[in-house]
Parts: sequence; C-alpha cells; structure tokens
Amino acid sequence: MLQSTVKFLSANPLLLALIKILIIFAVVSGIVAYLVYMERKVLAFMQARLGPMRVGPWGLLQPVADGIKLLLKEDIIPAGADEWLFLLAPAISIFACFTVFAVIPFAGNFYVSDINIGLLFILAVSSLGIYGIILGGWSSNSHYPLLGALRSSAQLVSYEVAAGMALVGVLLFSNSLSMVDIVKRQLSMGVWNVFLQPVAFLIYVIAAVAETNRNPFDLPEAESELTAGYHTEYSGFRFALYFMAEYTNMVVVSCIAVTLFLGGWLRPFANYARLDFLKFTPILATLGAGGFVLWLWLKSSVKLDRYFFIALTACFVVLAILLVYPPVLNALQGIFWFSAKVLAFLYAFIWYRATFPRYRYDQLMNIGWRWMIPLALANLIVTAVLRYFWLSHHAATAVAWLGR
Amino acid sequence: MDWKDFLRRIFLIDLINGLRLTFSYQRPDAIYTEQYPLERPPVAERYRGAPRLNNHPESGETLCIACNLCSIACPENLIVVGWARTEDRKKRLTTFTYDLSRCMFCGLCEDACPVDALELTQDFEIANYTREGMIWDRQALEEGPKPARYTR
Repeated sequence: MLQSTVKFLSANPLLLALIKILIIFAVVSGIVAYLVYMERKVLAFMQARLGPMRVGPWGLLQPVADGIKLLLKEDIIPAGADEWLFLLAPAISIFACFTVFAVIPFAGNFYVSDINIGLLFILAVSSLGIYGIILGGWSSNSHYPLLGALRSSAQLVSYEVAAGMALVGVLLFSNSLSMVDIVKRQLSMGVWNVFLQPVAFLIYVIAAVAETNRNPFDLPEAESELTAGYHTEYSGFRFALYFMAEYTNMVVVSCIAVTLFLGGWLRPFANYARLDFLKFTPILATLGAGGFVLWLWLKSSVKLDRYFFIALTACFVVLAILLVYPPVLNALQGIFWFSAKVLAFLYAFIWYRATFPRYRYDQLMNIGWRWMIPLALANLIVTAVLRYFWLSHHAATAVAWLGR
Repeated sequence: MDWKDFLRRIFLIDLINGLRLTFSYQRPDAIYTEQYPLERPPVAERYRGAPRLNNHPESGETLCIACNLCSIACPENLIVVGWARTEDRKKRLTTFTYDLSRCMFCGLCEDACPVDALELTQDFEIANYTREGMIWDRQALEEGPKPARYTR
C-alpha cells in the first residue's frame, strides 16, 4: 500500500508538489495564527502580565476566536476609494509572502522545488509584496494609509539594499543561489555561515526586522502617529489578510535567515560523529514540552483546562515514544532542527518588540543609509578579497600581491 | 564621544542590557495580573464595603435593638429603621432599609451602633442592574452580600 503510493507519487511529480504545497500552506497558516498568540503571550510575560487567558485553556483558542470575529465583521470599502486596487492589494501582499515557501527547504528531502536561482526568486517575489502595501495605502483615499505606505516603501527600499549585500557575502561562500545547495555547502564546509559572516548576519537580522515593519522599525504602522498605517481603512477579512501577510513575512524572513546563516535543517556540529547523540534532542524536546504542560496541569484549577492539559501531556509522551523508533526520528530530524531555529528567530522578533522603543523616521533612514549600507559594502569587499585568496589556495599569492 | 562610549555603541551594549532585562521578566513569580473572577484580591483590613446586619451566631436572632442611632449618625440619611413595640414595651426591629446608591462608606453608622449589629464588611461587589436594587432591605442586609462565583 505505502510502496504503491510512493511509486504513484514519484510517477506524478506534479501531484506530489501539490500535496506538499497543501501541507505547507496549511501548516504555515496554522503557525501564523498561533504566532499571533505566541506574540501576545511572550509580550505579556515580558511586561509581567498573563496575556490571553479566557478563550480556551490558557487562551489557546484565541486565534480561532479572532479568526471567526474577523470573518464575520463588516467589510467596508471607503467612499472614494479605488475599488479594484483596494480589493486587490491585500491579496498581493499575502500571495507574495506565501509564494516564497515554494523554494524554502524545510528538510533535506522536504521542499516544493529546488530551483537554481532560489535566493533570487525569494528576493524578487518578496519585493513584490511591497506593492500590496503601497497600493493598499494609496487606494484607500485617506491620509494615514498613504503616509504609512510611503514610509513603508521608503523603508523597504533602504533596507533591501543592505540585506541584499549581506546575502551576497553568503553567496560568495556557497557558490550557488539554490537554497538546498546553500545548506549542503554549509554541511561540506563543516561550519555555518553565521561564523564565516557574522557581520552579514547582524546586518541581515536588523534589515529583516525593518523589512517586516516590526518594532523598533514599525514606522509604517506606528499607532501613535498613523493610527494603523497602510491598513487603517481595512476591516474584516481583508484586514486579516494584511495581518496574516505581516506575520507570514516574519516566518519567511526567519526561514531565509536560518537557511542562509544557521545551516537550515542541519543539526549543530553535523559533521562530528562524536556528537551524534545530539540527534536524540527531538525526544528530549518533546518530553520537555510534555513536562511544561504537566506543570500547567498542576497549576491549573479549572476542571476543563486540567483535562486538556493532561491530554496534551499524553500526546507529547506518545510522540516521544514514537520518536524513539529510529526511522521516525531520522525522518523528523531535519524538520525539528529547522523549526527549532525558526522558532528561536521568531521569539527574538517578539523579544525586540518588547524591548526597544520605536526609532524616529530620520534615525531610521540614518541607520539604513549611513550605517547599514556602508557596513554591508565593507563586509562584502573584505569577504570577496579573503575569498579570492582562499580559493586560490596560496597564501603566497596574497603576499606577492601585497608586495607588488 | 570618547572611545568607551564608541565601543558601547558599536557592540550595542545598551540594547543587549535592555534585552536581558525584558528576558528576566519571564518568570512565573513576576506576573502581576490577577485573574479577577477566579481569584479575588485581598482588601485592606479596615476596608469598608457592603453593609451587613449581624445576627446572633447561636440563636440567629438579630442583634439590632432598633435604637435608630445609625440612622441619626448617617450624614446622607439613607438608613431607615422601622420598629414596633412589644407587649412589654420593648422596641423590636421590623424593617431596615439601607440605600447603597447614596452611601459614601464613611462608616459613621457602624461606629454609632452600640451592639455591633451594623457592620461594613470587606465585600466590594455591590454593583446592581437597577437603582431599586441598590436599596437593600432587612433580608438582604442579614444575608449579606452574595458575590457570584464563576466557574468553568
């Protein structure tokens, strides 16, 4: 049965891709919904609050409630708005960020496609997303959205340059634009790119925060200045699309950073056989999650919540037992490390939001043009020079060149 | 800018300190939130809240001797004590109304009471849907406030 299915799927690659797309779309949508929950929770804890607690155990059903609420709300199109563009803009935003997942390798054997211009494709498509913001802001026929959209495009243009140049530094080491090859190259070099390109990594992280319009660079939707920025006039499901696009962008940017700098699906020290015991980390992590839920069970006094928590603990234990079985462990190894790294990244995004105050607009431009871009350029030049001599395998060449 | 300041800025020391601070707040014991209907805050010992007419703990008879001192003490004149004489010419309490909507919880009635019958308790949940509901009669006062307990 299983073998015939595999055979059928490998005979129909299109169908296989379609199934993968469906899986990725469903999982990413779910992750994005719960990312909002995670953001509210983590932000609350950092501010000595509890966050959503009332809908479901520990507020776990909050994303569902929010989604239903947004679906049932009235969909308002302001008078004087450019109706077609107004309706189209959120769709562009969401389309652009979901398309990027087509070339992201979630594990060594799980990706929709591995095209040889993967990174270029990502940069091109994710830049299209800005059209959603600009058109949304412009077509609303309102002041605040227009200002927000202008700020957003200026910000994106400024930081895209720095981010792009930081990524070129990585490409110099990987010799390929294919996302899978970039990860494989990190395996063969035996070191993650973040250790070869720490400056580029820092630049990329800062630029990524700016490009996703997150704190401390959230000027396009600064509440105190622009109400809600480019989506001020949007309501109901169209607003939800914008909201989803924003959070999906966070996931996209984290996925790119993990793939390019942090070794994608590779576990830490992937080439050291002596550290092979690290492959049991998924079991430990699952048990840890189970232990955490058990602790919640101990603390909770609400009857229904207690049932839920104990059931969840049981689920984690079952998963851990399943993971002891080697084929399952090996199959989930890549996904586990990839998602763990992405999760750490997403956590950092929220962490920044809880910590840093918003920059002024001129400060933002200052950082972008006077610090990030020169730094990225310098990093690129230094990397290129070092790489040139490293490639030629002669330190002597370097000496000769310098003494010339 | 001296070199120390410069290094601070280059290595983002202040930002990292900030990140450390926010991270350190993620302890369960740092949470300040009260899950109000599920858990009630302790009020101050001398807090004056909803009034109560105390009964004798054993016989269940009211402690109130219908002396009317609380009504006289009340600056808002919101207490109305009704009484009747018994055959041996003793005053017996019949009705007792307390208009909470006008009460400023000064506690003078409580102080005036010679037998500790009237007492302002620590209960603070006295909201009502109607103005009439804010006027508590003798029965409501003797039963004391009955805050709703929320369960899930």
